Amino acid sequence: MTKSSETILKSANSWIESGQKVTMATVIETWGSSPCQVGSKMIVNDKGDFLGSVSGGCVEANVINECLELIKNKNLFKKMHFTVQDESAWSVGLACGGEMKVFIELIN
Amino acid sequence: MKIEILKEIIEKKSLKEEFAVLTNLSNGNSEIFYSGKQLDKDFENYKDEIKNFYNLKKNGIIEGTQIFIFNYIRPIEVIIVGAVHIAQYLIDYLKNFNFVITIIDPRKYFTTEQRFQNVKIINDWPNNAFEKINTNTNFALITLTHDPKIDDPALNYALKNKFFYIGALGSKKTHIKRCQRLRETGFSEKEISSIYGPIGIKLGGKSTPEIALSIVAQLVSKTNDLLLNSKD
Repeated sequence: MTKSSETILKSANSWIESGQKVTMATVIETWGSSPCQVGSKMIVNDKGDFLGSVSGGCVEANVINECLELIKNKNLFKKMHFTVQDESAWSVGLACGGEMKVFIELIN
Repeated sequence: MKIEILKEIIEKKSLKEEFAVLTNLSNGNSEIFYSGKQLDKDFENYKDEIKNFYNLKKNGIIEGTQIFIFNYIRPIEVIIVGAVHIAQYLIDYLKNFNFVITIIDPRKYFTTEQRFQNVKIINDWPNNAFEKINTNTNFALITLTHDPKIDDPALNYALKNKFFYIGALGSKKTHIKRCQRLRETGFSEKEISSIYGPIGIKLGGKSTPEIALSIVAQLVSKTNDLLLNSKD
């Protein structure tokens, strides 16, 4: 219902037109109480700038790193699976107790 | 995803088309799908499942496959009759959602573009204005003038064309009179009672931004009902 998806897609296009490398992350599956709906999107460029969101802030940093790796290694796509946060401090995970899969892909 | 597909998504969205994007999660290929579209070999084997998800507007990974489908639905359109002060607040709140908004007001001094940026304005009477709009049941109407000669024709049009949400600003007394006029026009009790009047959820405030917020809350709630029901 939010406006954001349109803004994200248009920004991806203009980033690419200005010569940046752009990856898109999409939530493809969720279980439990994940905050973002299936289809939520985030774009990340080769400098690590990002727009949009795939969670309530829990896994964004990790997704951004993976997007940068994707660009660096000249890969085209990757599937990521995030589960419930474990107890160890600083680890990436979903504090909400949800579980989600994110698909990242290069737009080329 | 190929840049051509991204551009096609943006274009189809701006043309208000209904379509879906398919992604093969095992090789990264994607494709745009809509009614009657022939599928590439990547997706051809699963065409029945894809059509099923598409018809139900279901998003996600199709069971037992590596195919992800995401539906882009026709936008929900909101017609606001009355370019009054509340309309400015409404537009401010509504810009965060995926609505297409049109303001109708025959009174020239209200409809200056300075007051309403990035919104379509039709400076005409509702009956003339609706001739220029291709409406459907994904439309909502909000009347704000509480002037019968402006609001009533719009309400008549929205009732006849089965808008999913119709709300009319005005006091309880104004609404009773309004209902009486609609009765005399020949609308049934069921049709008349589908109008939200006085408009908005009970928020307890009387200031302009509070009234606008109460209208937006009601509109968003009814829009979510609509989107949920279309999935069943």
